[in-house]
Amino acid sequence: MKKKFPATMLAALAAVLLAWLPAPAGSAAWTAIRDARIVPVSGPVIEKGTVLLRDGVIAAVGAQVDVPASAWVIDGTGLTVYPGLIDAMSTWGLPQAAAAAQPAAARAGQQPPQQQAQAQQPAQARSRGPLDRPGTFSWVKAADLVQPDDARLGQARSSGFTTAVAFPRQGIVAGHGAVINLGGKTAGEMVVAPEAGLWLALRPSGYLGFPSTPMGIMAYFRQLWLDAEHYRQALALYAADPVNIPRPPYDRALEAILGAKRVLLPAADPVQMERMLKLAADLKTPAVLYGVVRGYEMAERLKQSGTPAILNVRWPSRDRDADPEQPESYRELRIRDLAPTSPAALAAAGVKFAVSSDGLETPRAVLRALKQSIDRGLKPEDALRALTLSAAEIFGVADRLGSVERGKIANLVVADGDLFDEKTKIRMVFIDGVRYLPEPELPQAPPGPAGRGPTSGEWEEQ
Amino acid sequence: MRPLIPLLVCSAAALLAADVTVIQNGTIHTVTKGTFKGSIVIRDGKIAEVGEKVMTPAGARVVDASGKHVIPGIIDAHTHIALDSINESSVSVSSMVSVGEMLNPESVSIYRALAGGVTACNSMHGSANAIGGQNVVFKMRWGADARGLVFDKAKPSIKMALGENPKRQGSPQGLQIPGLQSPQNLRYPGTRLGVEDVIRDAFTRARAYQREWKDYEARKARGEKALPPRRDLELEPLVEVLEGKRLVHAHCYRADEILMLLRVFDDFNIRGVTFQHVLEGYKVAREIAERGHGASTFSDWWSYKVEAYDAIPYNAAIMHRKGVLVSLNSDDAGGAELMRRLNTEAAKVMKYGGLSEDEALAMVTINPAKQLQIDQWVGSIEAGKDADLVIYDKHPLSIYAKVEKVFIDGRQYFDRDEDMSRRPKLEAEKEGLRRKLQDQQKQAMPQNRRPS
Amino acid sequence: MRTIRCLAFAALCLAARGGENNSFLLRNATVHPVSGPAIENASVLVLDGRIAEVGPKAAPRGKVKIIEARGLHVYPGMIDSGSPIGLAEIASVRETVDTGELGDFNPQLRALIAVNPSSEHIPVVRANGITTVLVTPGTTAGARGAATSGLIAGQASLVHLDGWTWEEMEIRRSAAMQMTWPVIQSGRGGPPDLESLLPGLAARRTTFAEARRNQQMQVRKIQDFFDAARRYQKAKAAGEAIPPDLSYEAMIPVLEGKVPLMITASREREIREALEFAAREKLRIVLAGVRQPGKALDEIARRNIPVVLGTTFVTPLEEDDPYDEPFTLPAQLHKAGVKFCFASFGVQFARNLPYQAAQAVPFGLPYDEALKSVTLNAAQVWGIDSEYGSIEKGKFADLIVTDGDPLEIRTQVKMMFIKGAPVDLESKHTRLYKRYMARP
Repeated sequence: MKKKFPATMLAALAAVLLAWLPAPAGSAAWTAIRDARIVPVSGPVIEKGTVLLRDGVIAAVGAQVDVPASAWVIDGTGLTVYPGLIDAMSTWGLPQAAAAAQPAAARAGQQPPQQQAQAQQPAQARSRGPLDRPGTFSWVKAADLVQPDDARLGQARSSGFTTAVAFPRQGIVAGHGAVINLGGKTAGEMVVAPEAGLWLALRPSGYLGFPSTPMGIMAYFRQLWLDAEHYRQALALYAADPVNIPRPPYDRALEAILGAKRVLLPAADPVQMERMLKLAADLKTPAVLYGVVRGYEMAERLKQSGTPAILNVRWPSRDRDADPEQPESYRELRIRDLAPTSPAALAAAGVKFAVSSDGLETPRAVLRALKQSIDRGLKPEDALRALTLSAAEIFGVADRLGSVERGKIANLVVADGDLFDEKTKIRMVFIDGVRYLPEPELPQAPPGPAGRGPTSGEWEEQ
Repeated sequence: MRPLIPLLVCSAAALLAADVTVIQNGTIHTVTKGTFKGSIVIRDGKIAEVGEKVMTPAGARVVDASGKHVIPGIIDAHTHIALDSINESSVSVSSMVSVGEMLNPESVSIYRALAGGVTACNSMHGSANAIGGQNVVFKMRWGADARGLVFDKAKPSIKMALGENPKRQGSPQGLQIPGLQSPQNLRYPGTRLGVEDVIRDAFTRARAYQREWKDYEARKARGEKALPPRRDLELEPLVEVLEGKRLVHAHCYRADEILMLLRVFDDFNIRGVTFQHVLEGYKVAREIAERGHGASTFSDWWSYKVEAYDAIPYNAAIMHRKGVLVSLNSDDAGGAELMRRLNTEAAKVMKYGGLSEDEALAMVTINPAKQLQIDQWVGSIEAGKDADLVIYDKHPLSIYAKVEKVFIDGRQYFDRDEDMSRRPKLEAEKEGLRRKLQDQQKQAMPQNRRPS
Repeated sequence: MRTIRCLAFAALCLAARGGENNSFLLRNATVHPVSGPAIENASVLVLDGRIAEVGPKAAPRGKVKIIEARGLHVYPGMIDSGSPIGLAEIASVRETVDTGELGDFNPQLRALIAVNPSSEHIPVVRANGITTVLVTPGTTAGARGAATSGLIAGQASLVHLDGWTWEEMEIRRSAAMQMTWPVIQSGRGGPPDLESLLPGLAARRTTFAEARRNQQMQVRKIQDFFDAARRYQKAKAAGEAIPPDLSYEAMIPVLEGKVPLMITASREREIREALEFAAREKLRIVLAGVRQPGKALDEIARRNIPVVLGTTFVTPLEEDDPYDEPFTLPAQLHKAGVKFCFASFGVQFARNLPYQAAQAVPFGLPYDEALKSVTLNAAQVWGIDSEYGSIEKGKFADLIVTDGDPLEIRTQVKMMFIKGAPVDLESKHTRLYKRYMARP
């Protein structure tokens, strides 16, 4: 419905003029991106429309939107607006040490992280059982560790990411993750949801002694959760009768477990998936499985159990360091062939899944990896949903993030084409309504001998 | 109406016959009821009939076994195959862990064991602990998922260990955890004396735990408000042992420690134990037999450790003659190697000790079945039991014999001819995949060089 | 009847102890010469430790003991082409193990001089029909190239499994020079991307490129050592005054082709390199521990290189390998025309040597070849076949008398003769058996 007011013409002219001036990003109360292609994700594509932002929130989206005169108008001609991308399992924004246990750091020739940790703690006493609470940092909250000056944030934004669900990674009960926006002056400003779930690992790290095997870790988790339940019962009894019931000693580890909304557990293949589903049932806590390399074989069961998945999209490839006379097994060949089809398989089965940047060189590589899946049959809208709304839904923040809808946080990515196209450039992202421009690119380095892909030079591997 | 009845009967029979296999005219080694030339009728996964002459229903699938030998599926009472974790060695009592959780149905060892005639096995926790974790009994149903493998009717069991292994971390030279310097990180026990202590202490605590819960249940029944005892996953499996609900497999070598453990089990009234390895069992065979415990041992291993220096290949025969229920096992951990040759291992008790053919075969069929308390369903060729059967091309106790077919629950899981014809196809498929992946990589390469 | 025979044999052993009278007639048995077909109702006449006559008409000459062997079988004593027997007692106790000396190049070491004639392994092993062993001074590599003690471990010695001292046991002090071809030791595990996501795959430590470089450096070391040995040889031959060097001295018979170089090389890559090296250096070699020859098999056959096979009782190397791959290897070698013999490469299972060979029979190896691989072939490989390895006139009487096929598990060895002298088949195991059977 077109309204013919001369004021609109004037505003449009002003907007065009203003777009050329270095407008201080975010200083206007109203911001409008006009005449852009909008992909809301929660609804059909708007070929030409306007997104109106105010005070960090999306005020309106549509083909016809009233743009206030005072609005800072950005010409969206030839541009596409998407919801800001979400890295569903990340370490962005957290200090590197908290990410110590990340698998990608275990490059050829380097010691695995747990050995490095051990080397730094020569006098550490070994854990002798569950009561020593080995590798347990359930009280650690990513929300308390956010660092707004993390160098990786700029690179993430430059690739279209506005949000990450960041988790501490040290130990086997690493702590609670947080949904954080990848921009803000203070750490507090960045936190959207301070308790995203407890991150659990099945590889011993961050301690010595018990448990030294995945089965030991599983037994330990069961005991820990039983202890938490017992603690809760003791507290309840004490509260009802503080005179006769002895006061239970405060236990920060158990307190933090009682508050866990969900747990994140690793499952790369169907066998591990069954193990983790059983474990989650024993813990009586909803689980989200991460890794899911062989998602193409796990889709049905995930759907049946109602378990969401966070895919690692670092598609397995032939190790450049491999012995050339050592043939790959049939199993390895199949995984390499089929792993990129996991997203499509999960989508077809109706599994809710999102994507993690773990193990990838750059945030851009996430998009490239999904492009490979799209080439193998994944629908682009399913890829986009995984990066946006599904991630928000998995962590219970879909009321505020994940789509371009009125009332949601103004997290957007604006590109000059299809997001998954190699040639497309990200023009800007909005986080809480504040505009960020992509950082300048460094010259392209050719692939190095250790098998690194091209890097933009921003994020050096530690 | 009348012509309809035979039609109905025939179609009913045909329906039934669809589930019927007859293994015909082979030499049937039943192990428990003699050996004879005959046939076996398999229906709905069970042995319906076995004898010199059987009723072969029309439409049944016939497997011609003329000139071949049929034995019950081999059962290995001591392995560690198909497990992604074997040993929670960090603590001396690791009863809270379960290797069954780590069962990996994709392990090729399952297939290789199957190709050697093994149809069921007891895959166990390792021996680094005086009291180890929980074990799992499973059938080699290659292709099934983990739950589909498990022999769920088998009673649960737990591992224990005596001798050199469980005390190794109690001395500096044995301890091998990197970064540990101080002696406080040694793991008790460091001697055989301490091993007994760990075991007695654990069962004593289990008894106390049992009592605690009984007291709590009593108080609850009286309507009192009480905090339940803290559930302890380490002690619960031990309570099950005390209550006879969980079997024990105890790894041991020397005669003195075997006797020690016998007395411990007497004190806690624990029965039906299977001693594992038990290489000096022959020295205390009488004491083992008196209590009705079993022994599962190697055929001829010796000298690899000091505690194995008095091991003799006559161990099985001596214990058997003294009245112990004896089985032979492989202790395979990495791959299925020895377990696929248990038929020839069994033959060794004929050489070392002069046992008969049936006694030899029993060592790897009905005897381990009894030790695992699954003999109601497997271990011999008798009507009513599961159709777990192996067809050999020659006498099963000969080293020149090969496994041709293996059935589990009446379904054929291994066929040597089929295995051989599959090989070139697998190679071709791999070559195809390799080329496909190479092409994909070449296509991806130019993209990598474009600026992002 | 059997008991009487056993008692008679025992009496014979007692009588022959220390005696020179190694002459007897084994009568009315089925004789398996190995060099030819089996002969039924035949006898073997042994005079002064040598086989004087074999056949249905063999008759005693002069006063010789008659040993009735009706219903029994006579075979040549079996030969184990690689075992540390006598040098290793309990594997987990280093004090009892004398293989694997420190240092890369130890050609001057001789296995024989540390063979303990009182090792409990000796009676145990010979009780199953093995009369002769090539005692090896090095630790032997597994199929994946497990760490070995050095590059040249020393001289392997052929011994009889009977004698008061190692001198009495000696057949040939320096029967082979034991060498290990360097292996590329990159850690086994999955590719890093899978490894970080799938538990159970071990972490990688060294890159392949680094491991390859290390291996090439080791190969270079070997080349340098051989060059130095040759220089020493030339200088010595030219009569130059050079300080004596025991290790180079020990290399001279190898360089002259008098002593074969026994190179442990399991997989195609190592085998290829070893073959090239041997051709270049014009050395006489035997390949040991061959496991996955691949395309190098034809080359082995073409150059007539003999092979010492380790145990068939292993799992296939690769996940996708056919399940019977280790059992079919001997037949593959036979089909390619390669001469091979077997070694236990250990002590614990050395008595099961014949079964290693037998296991290959249902998977394609002709029975006669299996029998040869533990008797005549072995003797030929080590150059003692003029005196051992088969039951032929003129050879030493290393014989076993059995109640059946010695390659079959159920068979019992009833009697053994080494150079015609009866050998006691009792051992620690039989003694413990009798003792504890008799426990009330």
